[in-house]
Amino acid sequence: MTEEFEPTIVAFLCKWCSSAGSDLAGVSRMEYPPNVTPIQVMCSGSVSPLYVFSAFNRGADGVLVSGCHPGDCHYIKGNYYARRKLALVKKLLEYVGLEPERFQMSWVSAAEGQKYTRVIKDFVNALKPLGPQTKLRRNS
Amino acid sequence: MVNIEDLKEEARRVLKEGKVKYIIGYERASDSWKANPVFLRKPEDVDKLVWDPTCFHNLVRFLVDEKRRKAREKPADSRPVGIVVKGCDSRAIVILLQEKFFERADVFVLGVSCESSGVVDERKLAKKTTGKSVRKLDFGDKQNFIVTTDDGTMGIAASEVLADRCLDCIANVPVVSDRLLGGKDKRTVARPFHAVEKMESLSQDERLTFWRDQFKKCVRCYACRSACPMCYCEECVVDTINFAVSADTPAEEKAQRIKWLEKSPVDSENVFYHLVRAIHLAGRCIDCGECERACPVNIPLRMLNKKLEKEAKELFGYDAGFDPDQPALISCFKDGDPEDFIR
Repeated sequence: MTEEFEPTIVAFLCKWCSSAGSDLAGVSRMEYPPNVTPIQVMCSGSVSPLYVFSAFNRGADGVLVSGCHPGDCHYIKGNYYARRKLALVKKLLEYVGLEPERFQMSWVSAAEGQKYTRVIKDFVNALKPLGPQTKLRRNS
Repeated sequence: MVNIEDLKEEARRVLKEGKVKYIIGYERASDSWKANPVFLRKPEDVDKLVWDPTCFHNLVRFLVDEKRRKAREKPADSRPVGIVVKGCDSRAIVILLQEKFFERADVFVLGVSCESSGVVDERKLAKKTTGKSVRKLDFGDKQNFIVTTDDGTMGIAASEVLADRCLDCIANVPVVSDRLLGGKDKRTVARPFHAVEKMESLSQDERLTFWRDQFKKCVRCYACRSACPMCYCEECVVDTINFAVSADTPAEEKAQRIKWLEKSPVDSENVFYHLVRAIHLAGRCIDCGECERACPVNIPLRMLNKKLEKEAKELFGYDAGFDPDQPALISCFKDGDPEDFIR
């Protein structure tokens, strides 16, 4: 019997919204797949493209960047910068042959625990048929 | 047609008046038919200046070095530096002005228009002139270059030997200049992104195979980084000197420091390096093509840069290097930026 492939997701969650949203999902005992490694960042705008490439390089099967909804950023406009920067990252990754499903962004507010679980469930379901990510993974 | 005597005259004048510290231009290389960068400090040196299709270097790179040199100078010479620029190179100056790397008054720009021509691609020319050694290459009429070999002179269709970047060029006339030489007719290119579009039309697996094969070749010599006028970070992600070490820095702290990528030319690390290089040039690359020309293993780096140029234009309506007052691509935003990829 072969075991089902369980993808590893690295999620960069902004401290003010998405991280609080994931907390809410936790304390409300909502169930969602345990495939995520959350990394709290101060703002989605502080996520450098380097973080994303690095996560793939160290073996992530998918990378999620999640921040506050447009207009709700704690730093007023950090998520707008993130949106622009990461749109380019996504296009570039697709261009060099990575599956577009492997890099995703979402807006999750502190009240949206339910949405957070849905985002993770969808992400995991999208990654499972793709299998392990080997395209950008470190060879060793 | 750019008259080289006009360029020399202007250079001689500003050097004589002591208006500039020195002038960066092109001279004939002592051992070949190509042009070399030259630094002119005395009025009598200006006769060295040349302007022909082998002036492919982007001299703006030297302004980056100049800034560092200036910081060490005592007493500092605050006069501007004169520089000969083509259309593409002038856009590099615009980007550096936009990023406040230096002030407009720090440079004296001698713009030369490429008009309907451009610079030569050595590899293409070598194919056309197999078995002959080239002695000289000149602009001919609009459609032809005149190549002088040991066997005599002949005309060669410019479109066949022009560098790819010149075939896709949208800035044949310098954007900024204190003195502009040559015609001012702007050129239009029907499909500046045709190579990128062709690449995008391939399947995902074909693209992956293509880029994998290309990045495999990389020997990590960083010639692309050294040739680029935009790659001026004091510390690059590939350098592992990113934090100061003092006598008090404990060993465990040094051991824990982030090392983004390995230096060895392994496939995965090469991809990482090239992705980072490309994304750092998003909205900044002005397509002077120097990275690709400098590459010893012929990786088509322009295809990466062009892709991001295309996305910047299509997604955000952004053109790099035309307006020094414009904010940088990723330090501005619009409410209506696309977010269809976000859940």
